[in-house]
Amino acid sequence: MGTNTDYIISVEDLVKEYNGGKVVALDHCSLNVKKGQVIAIIGPSGSGKSTMLRSLNLLEEPTSGKIYFNVIDLTSKGVDINKHRQKIGMVFQHFNLFPHKTVLENITMAPVTLKKQTEEESKETALNLLERVGLIDKAYEYPNMLSGGQKQRIAIVRALAMEPEVMLFDEPTSALDPEMVGEVLDVMKELAAEGMTMIVVTHEMGFAREVADEIIFMSDGRIIERGSPVQIFENPENQRTKNFIDKVL
Amino acid sequence: MFWDWWQSLFVDMSSANFFNFSFLPRYGYAVIQGVEYTLILSVISVLMAVLPALLLATMRLSKNKAVRCISGAYIAAFRSTPILVQLMIIYYGVFSIITVPKFMIFGFIDSTRFIPGVTALALNSSAYVAEIFRAGILAVDSGQMEAARSLGLSQFQSMRLVILPQAVKNVLPALANEVITMVKESSVCMVLGMAEIMFTAQTIGGSTMISIGPYMLAAFIYFVITYPTSKVIERIERRMRRGDKH
Ligand SMILES: Nc1ncnc2c1ncn2[C@@H]1O[C@H](COP(=O)(O)OP(=O)(O)OP(=O)(O)O)[C@@H](O)[C@H]1O
Ligand SMILES: [Mg+2]
Repeated sequence: MGTNTDYIISVEDLVKEYNGGKVVALDHCSLNVKKGQVIAIIGPSGSGKSTMLRSLNLLEEPTSGKIYFNVIDLTSKGVDINKHRQKIGMVFQHFNLFPHKTVLENITMAPVTLKKQTEEESKETALNLLERVGLIDKAYEYPNMLSGGQKQRIAIVRALAMEPEVMLFDEPTSALDPEMVGEVLDVMKELAAEGMTMIVVTHEMGFAREVADEIIFMSDGRIIERGSPVQIFENPENQRTKNFIDKVL
Repeated sequence: MFWDWWQSLFVDMSSANFFNFSFLPRYGYAVIQGVEYTLILSVISVLMAVLPALLLATMRLSKNKAVRCISGAYIAAFRSTPILVQLMIIYYGVFSIITVPKFMIFGFIDSTRFIPGVTALALNSSAYVAEIFRAGILAVDSGQMEAARSLGLSQFQSMRLVILPQAVKNVLPALANEVITMVKESSVCMVLGMAEIMFTAQTIGGSTMISIGPYMLAAFIYFVITYPTSKVIERIERRMRRGDKH
């Protein structure tokens, strides 16, 4: 249940409809995430993976259902969603770096604007994080000078600079040239190893298998099956899961 | 035949001659002031339109339907009626209630006419500039707003720090074009006796009895101001677009 303090995120009976109910993107989905868990969401195109992820920080407003973050129902009235979003990092398929700001400004803008850190502190944090992902020499460049892989590592750092309690990834490597996928996945693996709670929508089955604690398979807006990587990849119970796994492996 | 007519244009300085510019030595200074008046009037009008236009554009993009409608109605009203009508209503309506203190701006612009005139042009222009801003904001990738909001920034902070700085770049050429439009449109202010280019031409015509020449000169001046400027803006715009691709 949502009030269970074991769960950092808890989704109850989430429904998301578009166009006045003509499209049902999420059909009564429930999901619990424990602190430190890495969850991979897989499934065919249009199955509702992005909608699910984007609902967690209310980039999509649910039609019905509840979303708990640290026991607080984000969908209830009077919740300051901006405050909670500071603790929920998000990384997008297309990076969405701010092109009019340098790499450093991209990273420090939110912490400084939201008075989380002073300009000095936040610059130090940013440089430390850049060092860790091997991009400290890019601090004063503009995003359009960088490769896709570099952009995505910066986008991860930008989210981390807010010191989030959970990180959401929506196909973070899908827009990358194949030779750049590895450098981004390496950063994510490191994060997972440090104990970051992560929810990752991905087509990288190798990554899901290696890093995730739990795999969630979605189809037609429903969570069809969930389980450990071994169970989902080697012993799927549902025929649709089986078909999907056979197709992608 | 033709040749006779052509020569007569320059020899016979009849008052209805198209190229009778014999008023220039005496009225040259008035013409120059008229040009200055027009430029000041149009630039200030568009600058004054920027803030209301920003407000209108944000209202137009609001989630609240009532807010959207108010802004939409304003824009529709000002874009669908002649600027001359707006000028009359604002001058005789609004500024019969508000009394403008009389003083001279730059030594030759009478405030009691200039301020109502600028108000009318700015209100008119804000409807057009609002649509320019709206297009500029919509042209910014929606992922930018999502990224800003996902970091915990409010709608307003995201607008100010992420969306608007990028929209401004999209919008500058269109804004410059709006000034050019205003240079031409501001000629309606002659009916209020504002001493811009057209009013100056009319005055010269009246006192010299040269009927066409002053207006030919006015047309020439408008063209010389607007045509090269619009070409320059076009070039800058093309270069900016090329820069965006990389
Ligand atoms: N803004 C929207 N308006 C209407 N329908 C939408 C909208 N966003 C998503 N949908 C629909 O909702 C369903 C789920 O979309 P979603 O993007 O969540 O799928 P996905 O699993 O992320 O797919 P992909 O792997 O292609 O990214 C799809 O049928 C999609 O067409
Ligand atoms: Mg998706």
